[in-house]
Order: sequence, then C-alpha cells, then structure tokens
Amino acid sequence: MKRIQVTQEGVVFSLALILAVGLAIGLGKKFYDINNLVTLIRSVAILGMLGLGMGVVIIGRGIDLAMIATMVVSVSVVLVLPQASSNLPLALLIGLVFVLGIGLLSGVLIAYAEIPAIFTTLAMGLVVYGVGRSFFFRIDNLNAPQGYWWFDFLGHGSILTLPLGNGHAFELPAPIGAFAMLGLVLFFLLRWTRFGRFVYAAGDNPLAARITGTPTRLVLVAQYVISSVVAYLAGIVMAAASYGMNTRIYNSTMIYDVLLIVVLGGIGLSGGRGGIRNVLVGTLLVGVLLNGMTILDVPYTQQNLIKSIILLGALVIDSLINPRDEQTTQQGDV
Amino acid sequence: MTVLGSVLKAKIEFRKATKEFRGVPAIRGIDLTLNGGEIHALLGENGAGKSTLTKALSGVHALTSGEIVLDGRTLVLSSPADALRQGIAMVFQETNLVPSMTVAQNIYLGDEHLINRLRGLYIKSQQFLQTLNFNVDPTVLVSSLGVAQKQMVEIARAVHHKARIIIFDEPTATLTSEEKRHFFNLVRRLKSQGVAIVFITHALEEALSLSDRITVLRDGELVATGETVSFDRDLIIQAMVGRAHTNELYGSENKEERRIRGYGSKVLDVQNVSMGNIVRNTSFSIYTGQVTGLFGLVGAGRTEMMKIVSGVLKRDFFHGGNVLLDDKPVRYRTPRPAVRDGIVYVTEDRKLEGFFETMSIVENIQVGDLARGANPLSILSMREARQLAAEWTQNLGVRSIDSKAKVIELSGGNQQKVVVAKALVQKPRLVIFDEPTRGVDVAAIVEIHNFISRLADQGVAVVVISSYLPEIKALSDRILIARQGKIVEEMDVSDATEERIMYAAVH
Repeated sequence: MKRIQVTQEGVVFSLALILAVGLAIGLGKKFYDINNLVTLIRSVAILGMLGLGMGVVIIGRGIDLAMIATMVVSVSVVLVLPQASSNLPLALLIGLVFVLGIGLLSGVLIAYAEIPAIFTTLAMGLVVYGVGRSFFFRIDNLNAPQGYWWFDFLGHGSILTLPLGNGHAFELPAPIGAFAMLGLVLFFLLRWTRFGRFVYAAGDNPLAARITGTPTRLVLVAQYVISSVVAYLAGIVMAAASYGMNTRIYNSTMIYDVLLIVVLGGIGLSGGRGGIRNVLVGTLLVGVLLNGMTILDVPYTQQNLIKSIILLGALVIDSLINPRDEQTTQQGDV
Repeated sequence: MTVLGSVLKAKIEFRKATKEFRGVPAIRGIDLTLNGGEIHALLGENGAGKSTLTKALSGVHALTSGEIVLDGRTLVLSSPADALRQGIAMVFQETNLVPSMTVAQNIYLGDEHLINRLRGLYIKSQQFLQTLNFNVDPTVLVSSLGVAQKQMVEIARAVHHKARIIIFDEPTATLTSEEKRHFFNLVRRLKSQGVAIVFITHALEEALSLSDRITVLRDGELVATGETVSFDRDLIIQAMVGRAHTNELYGSENKEERRIRGYGSKVLDVQNVSMGNIVRNTSFSIYTGQVTGLFGLVGAGRTEMMKIVSGVLKRDFFHGGNVLLDDKPVRYRTPRPAVRDGIVYVTEDRKLEGFFETMSIVENIQVGDLARGANPLSILSMREARQLAAEWTQNLGVRSIDSKAKVIELSGGNQQKVVVAKALVQKPRLVIFDEPTRGVDVAAIVEIHNFISRLADQGVAVVVISSYLPEIKALSDRILIARQGKIVEEMDVSDATEERIMYAAVH
C-alpha cells in the first residue's frame, strides 16, 4: 500500500511556482526578464542565509530573535576596526570571536539557566545592539573597505556566466553561491553527522533525548553558536553586496521575514520537523512574493501588512499540523 | 447560617460499568451502589481500576458501556464542571487549585458574580470557612499553603458547590497524623450531613476505621464489597491479590518450570540515599545475571529511587547517601554519564519521554546508538543504522507495515519495543525497566517478558519496576519492596507469595 504523501515542501514549492507563473502572466516581461530573476534571487540570498541559521535553531525547538542584531553589530564592529582597511582577514577573525561570544552567551543562558529561548534572544538582541551603539559605532552607515578583490567578488561577482547571445549574459551572483554553500554545509551537518541527529532528537522530544543520553545542553549551546555565526556570514555577504552596513536594518522587520521563510517553508515551531529543503522553498516563495510586490509598486507599509498576515496564517497552519502540547494526546491513566 | 446544612441524600448506582482504553478494559462490568450519608472505601492495587471508576463518576471519562444512575436518572456528564453542577466533586491527590489566587477566590471560582467586590468575598468566605471549622485565612494565596490546607480549601470548594457526592483520591498520603485526625473528623461531619463519600486509599487501617462499606477492585473487576464490619486486614489483602484463576499470561506460577537465577556480582550498591520526602534513607543492591523486581504502591518512591541511580531525576535534591557502581562512588546529574557507564533507564511514560515521534523506527534506534559516542562531527552511515535497527526489531519482534512509518503510528506494544531497543542498543550492564508493559497488548507483554528474561540470562543486571504483582512474580528472581520512600523488605521469589509482598507494601 503506497501512501500518498503531500509534503509541506511540495505545497510551498507549488505555491511559489503558481505565484511566479501568475506574476509572469500578469506582469509580463517585467517579471520574467532574466535580470529580474537574478535580482530576485540575489535579494533573497541574504534572507535565505539567515533562514538557514534560524532553521537549525527551530528544528532544535528553539528560536533566535537576536540574529539581525548579531548580523548588524558584528559586521559593523569589523568595519570600524582600524584593521578593516589594512588587514581585512584579521578584522573578520576578530568579528568571528565577537560573534562566537554572543552565541555562547545566549546558548548558555538557554541551556543551563533554562531561560526560554524567545526571551533570552529577544533581550540578547537589545543588549548586542546597545553594546555596539555605545562602544563601537555611532553613525548609521559604515562603509566597506576597498581593494580586496575577494570581498568585492563576494558581493558582486558571478560564479557562473552563461552567454545568451546578442551581448547579454546570464550571471549567477556570488551571494547565491554563498547561500548555496551554506545550505550544503548545514544540510550535511543536520543529515549526516551525530550532531545533526541530536538536534532533531532534542527538537522532537527533549526529555527522551536527555534520557537516551544525548548531550542535550551542549547541543543547545551549539545551535545558538551556529545561528550567530550564520548571521555573521550573512552580514559579511550583505556588507560586500551593498558596500557597507546600514545599522538601521536592526530596526527593520527583517527578523519577521526570516521567520516567515522558516515557518512558511514548513519547519514546525514545535521542533524536530523539516530541514534545509524547507528553508529553500520558503526562501523561494518569499522571494517571489517580495519581488512581485516591489514590481507591482505595493507601498512598503502594505507590503508589511501582507507579509504579516501571511506569517500569521502560516503560524496558525503550523500549530494545526504540528500541535505543540503532548499532554493533551496522552493516554488516560488507568 | 446553615451552609453545612444537610443535603438531599444521593443514591448512585453503577450498572455494568465498563471503560476501555484503546480496547483494553480498565474496569469491566462493575455493579456498585453508593449511598448518601455513607463513607465508602475503594481499595485495590495500582491499576485495579479505582481511579477510572471514580473518574467516570466525576465526568473525566465517559463509560464505554454500562451506565451510572443518580437518584433513578441516568447520569450523563460532559465534563468535571458538569459533574460539579450535578453535585459530584472530586478532590485529587494533586490539588486542582489556582496557586496564584487567594483562598476565597479559589472557593468561589466558577461561581463569581459579574463584578466581584473582593472585601465582600473575603467576609463571605471567612464566615463559610468558620462554619466548616477550617482555620484558613481566606485572603492568603493558595501557593503559600501547605498540602493539608490546600486539601481543606479544595473540600471547602466542594461543599460550597453543594456537592452531594465527594470523591477523595488518596487524601491522606501526604498528611501528618495531626492533619489526618482533622481530616477524618471533617469527613465524618460531611457524612452526618448526608454527603456520600468515596475514599480511595492504600492505607487499610484507615479504610477499616473510617468507612462504613468497603469495595475491593482487582484487574478492573469488583471482587468484594460489603459492610466494613465484615472485613479485616487479611480478608482485604486476599481480595486485593487473590487471583483464583490467574491469567494464563503469567503461567509461570508453577514453580518447577521456573528456573530461578542466582546472584551474579554486585553491580550497584545504594547506601542511605535520600531525596526530599520521596526517598527516605534507603539502601539496596543490584546483581548481574538476575532480574530484580521492585514492587511498591503509588507514592512509594520506586521510580524516584531508580531515577536517582540513572541520573534521570532533573534536579540535585540528594540529601546524602552513596551510590556505588562496581564499588566506585558515582553521582549522575544527567543521564548521559550514566548511559556511558552502562546504566540505562526505560521510562514508564514512553510518550512523554520515551521515543521520538517524528522519527522512524530506524532513526529512533540510531539515536540510542549515537548517544554512546562522543565526536559530534562523525559521519553517519544510514546503511549501518538500518542494519542495526533490523537486528533489534527482529530481536524484539517489532511489527510495522511500513519500515518508514513514524513511531507515533505504531501500536503501544510496538512503541514500547522501539523504546526498549533504543535503550538496549547502548549495550548496558544495568537496565531499569519502569512498568515495561503498561498500555501494551497481551501478545507484546509475553514477548517483552521473554526478552527481559533472556537479557538476565545473558548476564545483564535487570531491574523491573512494576505495580502489578503477577508481573513482578513472573519476572523476578529477587523482589525488593518499597514503602514510603524506603526498601522495607527483600525476598527471593521462591519465598514470595502475593500476600507476603502486599503485606510488606501496605502501611
């Protein structure tokens, strides 16, 4: 007996496809123009990277609301360092240490002090941003250093160029490459390593994971270290692509876009469900949506309204598909 | 003020009351009558069906078949709140009060006016509590009360709701003797007002001294009922355990067939371990190559003792004592080091802390295997995992139609086997099975029992915690009996009769 399987990835992917086709028919050349498609994926590459980090944490039944703050502040710190222009690799290394500290602190507070992840990371975001603002930078725009070809390539290079004739060429932008690479690494980590299995186990049933003898606390700390490092990497790509870092991004609604990707893609907030594939389809759908709204010239406020309604809908559907409360489904005691 | 004025005496009849959980009957064809103005003690082992019976009366469970008749009318209850409206209240062992509200607010909970004047509420409650002779300040928060006082509030609440039938589930288990005396006085007073009282207890002396009638349940069936004067301690114990036609399941009653394993080497030595009120200065040892049965009634601290040993207990509540593994002192604060030292605990609540519901059988067993290792980045082989899982599922006879099926979709018996496989794949030297056959179908019980025996034959130290006497007797070579947080007796199975075990286990 073969079971008909309707996976959430499949549904989301189909939705993205339908939406894309709809936009292509409705908007014509404006949407399916090859350059627009490249812009589309380029613009969501950073969002997608953040989604990958968030995905890992949510699979482990956590959440990291500090990702945007971590991204903005860590990269800004790197950019204000005197080493940034003289020795960028060293500056990036210092930034990495900074970011590891953030991840470790969040992780330890959540795993050992047992403070709920949602509050810990919410407060952590404020703390990180406050520290950055008070001690490292006071201006909104920080410029990226010039003269590093690899840094430039990361933001504007093309990892694949296909000539299309009549002088045009299809270029696959490097941020997409970075997104893909990160996706591969995390896919490998989650699917093929002991650590990955432990993340799923802890997300599925933390008590069972503990009794089985998995190092639940260390795994929890590692998740937040990973999400912080991923935020840092996304920030580097962002700085390379936009020639600097705008610290006001912290005040934007970006974290909700990241959550939208993850939840819409089908990673249940109850943990243990979904994988990298879900982040990919989620990114695709959100990307098409954002791009379509931009081309349609939907005002920013309305865009946010639409996104928030979709997020709300996705959360409701998620809580229906993956109920969080095991107590209610328990057998009555005799 | 006649708050505690007499109530209309109720008459409740259970007629052929049967309740099944997933096809397994918890109570079967019970015929029982409860009268107003009478204290009725309900006795039986754990799992005999006492809770199910009372929960059917208080609207928690709906009967599968049969009916409950109240004053000549069939009683249909949709919820505990509904039962309360009909005058049936249940006072649970763990109280159902809202800790962040005051005593008065709790008493009037569900009965508030649209606008409540707190002062008026306090004055009313004060008067009400005085008529009950309860010395509780209505303005204090429930969270600041002791267990006995909480129980008083809960009783006050039941009386306030004009309950004609009050069910007490193990009311005295956590009370001091002074509090008990007070409680008994109150129950007698309620009785004189015409309230029908149902009293579940493990303490036989209390039942004998307090009740008017006694009913004994066993394996979901009513085995004895009558006036308390016609019972004595021995009669009750016999009724509780006396299985005239013992289940063929536990057919190993015939001792010549049963080979009793000797003592291997001492693997675990527990000395004077205490933890709060639950485990009190207890000592025992576990040996390899035999099954040690651990018997005790609810609240005897059996599970907690073994959870301390295996590091499962969440916080470090130890008030002293030593645990020696191979003569070396150990103190596990998490299960991980215990697992790596070869001690595994198979939980009694598999859904809560046993298996991973989104994972397949293979993945569940794989996590067990991986948990022993250290390197977090080592690369897995799904082929190996499948091989390992195939080996164990065959070993234990796990049956599923689809090898990719999630464990949540399996039957209770197969789920339990997966949990067992996940633990045994860790190659333990000491396995603790906590209620290994709870909620498991008959065929799987036999398989799990056989498997546990084979494990002991292979030289593993096995502990089986069970509330079911026939299971303890059928499986163990040596029996430890826990009572009030302490191992009070130890006997070889050849010396053990169900009566002897029960004698040691009841207060």
